[in-house]
Amino acid sequence: MGLLGRIMHGTPDPDAAKHLAEQQARDAAWQTALERGRLPDFVIKRLADTKERRLPWVSTTSVGGLLAMRTHGIRPVGMVSGNCWFNFGFSWTKGHAAGWHTAIERMTEEAVVLGANAIIDVRMKVFRLAELGREQMDFALYGTAVTIDSLPPSKAPLVATVSALEFVRLLECGIVPVGLAIGAHYDWLYQPSYQRQSTMMGLNGYAYMNRELVTVSQFVNRVRQAAYGLLASDGARLGTGVLARTQFSELLYFEPDENYPSGRCMYRHIAMGTAVQHEPGMHRPVNVKAVFSVQDKPMRRSLELTEEII
Amino acid sequence: MSQNPALEGLPKHAIERLKGLRESGQSEGIFTSDLSVNEFLMVREAGFEPIGLCVGSCIYHMGIQYGQWSQNQELNVLSQAMYHARELAMTRMTEEAQAVAADGVVGVRLEVKRLEWDREILEFMAIGTAIAHSSGHPGFKGPQGRPFTSDLSGQDFWMLLKAGHRPLEMVMGSCVYHVAHQGFLKSLGNIGRNTEITQFTQAMYDARELAMERMQNEAHEAGAEGIVGVNLHEGSHNWQPHVIEFFAVGTAVKPIEDQSVIPPPAAPQIVIPVND
Repeated sequence: MGLLGRIMHGTPDPDAAKHLAEQQARDAAWQTALERGRLPDFVIKRLADTKERRLPWVSTTSVGGLLAMRTHGIRPVGMVSGNCWFNFGFSWTKGHAAGWHTAIERMTEEAVVLGANAIIDVRMKVFRLAELGREQMDFALYGTAVTIDSLPPSKAPLVATVSALEFVRLLECGIVPVGLAIGAHYDWLYQPSYQRQSTMMGLNGYAYMNRELVTVSQFVNRVRQAAYGLLASDGARLGTGVLARTQFSELLYFEPDENYPSGRCMYRHIAMGTAVQHEPGMHRPVNVKAVFSVQDKPMRRSLELTEEII
Repeated sequence: MSQNPALEGLPKHAIERLKGLRESGQSEGIFTSDLSVNEFLMVREAGFEPIGLCVGSCIYHMGIQYGQWSQNQELNVLSQAMYHARELAMTRMTEEAQAVAADGVVGVRLEVKRLEWDREILEFMAIGTAIAHSSGHPGFKGPQGRPFTSDLSGQDFWMLLKAGHRPLEMVMGSCVYHVAHQGFLKSLGNIGRNTEITQFTQAMYDARELAMERMQNEAHEAGAEGIVGVNLHEGSHNWQPHVIEFFAVGTAVKPIEDQSVIPPPAAPQIVIPVND
């Protein structure tokens, strides 16, 4: 009787006890592994089998990426991943840096087992459960571990948050993407020189005037500078530059309460991006050609625009 | 050193990183940026190096001004506020660029964010990547020897230099406008008719005209020959329904003076992409 049949007839699974035991053993293996900062044996075995080609190689890259790797002596070995479900005990902002860093360590660990030189095409994902609110979330990364012909396995594989095509193009220009750099900072401004409009109205018509909130501007700038300082030092740990395409900032205001009679502002800024290693001043020309495409935009595109133009 | 042609010519430390021999980068000389990979390549191809992220921000309380219900008019208190706040943000960004001895800032994004907790307060932010000419050529600075600013991407920057021009300054024009409401009798008269509402046409025309005119004046004062990549945005920043900001923005440019650094022009090759 199949699984469905057993469910339909309410017959107990004869192997239920066995399955439960297996699952519990897996749970225990994960728990021990995470506590010790290593991988469970069954993961190591699968990765080792992949490395030795007893299992098929796995690649997250596009077919175009695969072609580019082939022409540049780069071989995909296996897909690697790491994640960290993080509870923001004291700071959502700082938690972002901590969560990503832990997930990267775990992913890198897998790449080491595969004997890789780099993890390319690394993608980042977050996952939340609505009922848990913003208090906790999962930070996950996955990518393709690759070896580069003529290089020995690396103890510290690079983490390249760029596609295979971009990875190859960067190598051609003497640039190596080396990791993910993060700078995250937040701070409070107590007694902001800001008061609700209602309290100002009628006093002297102040609310009718244009004015900069200088204290808040300066505060925001300080926090952002601190975040960029952290981004730079995290980047310096990895390479010579950071391409920080992802930036998030938020300015919040909290109404006065007993503890903070003047109210308070909170500002946070997160910046992250690909850290690269390059030699400033040493550029291998790409010899870019300007081209003029005579490809017409497909019809679909103009239909998509309908909402904007009608 | 290696049989793999892909590794030939890579800097020594880059190969060491690929081998995992070096665990860390240099502690000095780190740059930060918000360039994409392609922009990074093209900025270097243009003969420049990124130096650092530059940001200027300004939290601004907008004054209050009401337009007359049935009158088309510019709300100059709000126009001035939008100007003033953007200028503060841009100036601060440029000062940061100047502090790191940059020649200019590319990829500038000028953002206006509304805050949920107060509709009178707007957050202005100017952000871009400071770059410097790799051999220190002095001929790329903006007006009065300050760093140039530009909202052009790294790719556009390369193409602009190829075209024999250099960016001077990001120029903008703003006009906050109150579009008059239509009188009741007038609206009644329009029922069932296909007709132009000239009153509204005029308002939109006038506001756009003012914004563009101001932008052009800014470029003229900067000593520009032209403005490229002009965009026109219409936006309402938490204001009354009939209040609209027209915002024109572009990069003022002038011809490169030093003939020796003008790269050979690149006439586009006609192609058909086969990959999408």
